[in-house]
Amino acid sequence: MSKRKNLTDEDLLAELKLRFEQNKKALEELKSLNEELILVNKKLEESESLKSHFVSNITNEIINPFTSILGLSKAILSVDKENWKRVFSMVALIHAEAFSLDFQFRNIFVAAKIEAGEISPEIFTCDIQNLVESVIDDFKYEARKKRVNVKSQYNLPHKSDESFVFKTDPEKLKLILSNLLRNAINFSYEDSSVEINVWHSENNTLQISVKDYGIGISKENHTIIFDRFNRLDSGINSINRGHGLGLSVSRAIIDMLKGKIEIESEIGQGACFTLVIPESEANSEGFASDANEAFFNDFDQF
Amino acid sequence: MDLNQQHFLYPSTLFVSNTPSVVTTILGSCVAVCLYDPVLKIGGINHYMLPLWNGEGLASPKYGNIAIEKLVEKMYQQGSKKANLVAKVFGGGEVIETTIKQFNIGERNIKIALEMLEMYKIPIIAQSVGGKLGRKIQYSTSSGEVKHKFIDKSVQP
Repeated sequence: MSKRKNLTDEDLLAELKLRFEQNKKALEELKSLNEELILVNKKLEESESLKSHFVSNITNEIINPFTSILGLSKAILSVDKENWKRVFSMVALIHAEAFSLDFQFRNIFVAAKIEAGEISPEIFTCDIQNLVESVIDDFKYEARKKRVNVKSQYNLPHKSDESFVFKTDPEKLKLILSNLLRNAINFSYEDSSVEINVWHSENNTLQISVKDYGIGISKENHTIIFDRFNRLDSGINSINRGHGLGLSVSRAIIDMLKGKIEIESEIGQGACFTLVIPESEANSEGFASDANEAFFNDFDQF
Repeated sequence: MDLNQQHFLYPSTLFVSNTPSVVTTILGSCVAVCLYDPVLKIGGINHYMLPLWNGEGLASPKYGNIAIEKLVEKMYQQGSKKANLVAKVFGGGEVIETTIKQFNIGERNIKIALEMLEMYKIPIIAQSVGGKLGRKIQYSTSSGEVKHKFIDKSVQP
């Protein structure tokens, strides 16, 4: 009788010990989960405050250029005939302001579309060299203003009389490149250069790198530059304009094209962004070829 | 050929329409929630890749918590009443073998769908989730019917 009772006591102890250990383990798990939660919470809070910052920011970014466009065009209207040469410089300023506005709106609208889940790839066969050159051409005035020399180099396989073509979404690729090039020019020092390298690698991926010799990005900031509304240099005295959407938009589009982006940069060492995208399988007519009638011949119905 | 509009649903996007449409999508560890309003005979569907948005990048319907919220909101915008909505849930297969529990994305994707639909009090009237295979589904937004087939391929979405 007593023996049985002793055994029960031991069992009880063992059980208690086991439960204590389980409890301890659960507590530890809870603790680590809590820490994770705090981190995420902090990030969301930051995102919220960045969003409100974004609203005040955008007022500057949109109202100011508009004001100068209005002012400049008014000035042009009242220019005397003998001073018509002054018009050139004013037109150049108007163009610069309008160009930057247009570019910002493009990012904002694409970001809104991505967040609404209403954007999908539109695949075409594109002439890559042409596309890259057109982006460089778009930014030639910005580059000239900072005396930044944009160089491009291509290593693409092509037949002698045909240019290299690649299936992808040209509009989205253009937006990514525009963002990369704009950042590169913005963060370059005056009288420096930006190098764009385009090559095709054996597993049918297109790689484009955009390298600048500007202020660079520290290692710990390599991931947060892709968060929305985040700008490393967002102080009131910031000479760099922008709203911090460009890279997060680019990241989301790159995701959509199943590609990736790599950064190589250190403070003061310039930055090199390399974009890698695989050729899209979809044909130009979208997914029509995929909608084969036979596929669902023996299906489950829900 | 039927007269329904065809739509291929890409990952991280959603689709709601009041014109009869047939939406096709391919799911690996991703999850698609189909909402249907039998009164208005309209439907919507999302396709998300990860369960929760953690503040990284854009707050897009790549993440379950955002994708489900936006889908429900869009159904309201089309005039649906919450009490009428019913749901069907698909996907969340573990197409990539893993032993680390944290990486069971499929399972976590399913969980967030079940939890959020419970929160919205939207009944789940059908589901095919989990397992090791990918799925291809075809959702008819006017009837709420889903054709479903397993695919033996490790598709990423």
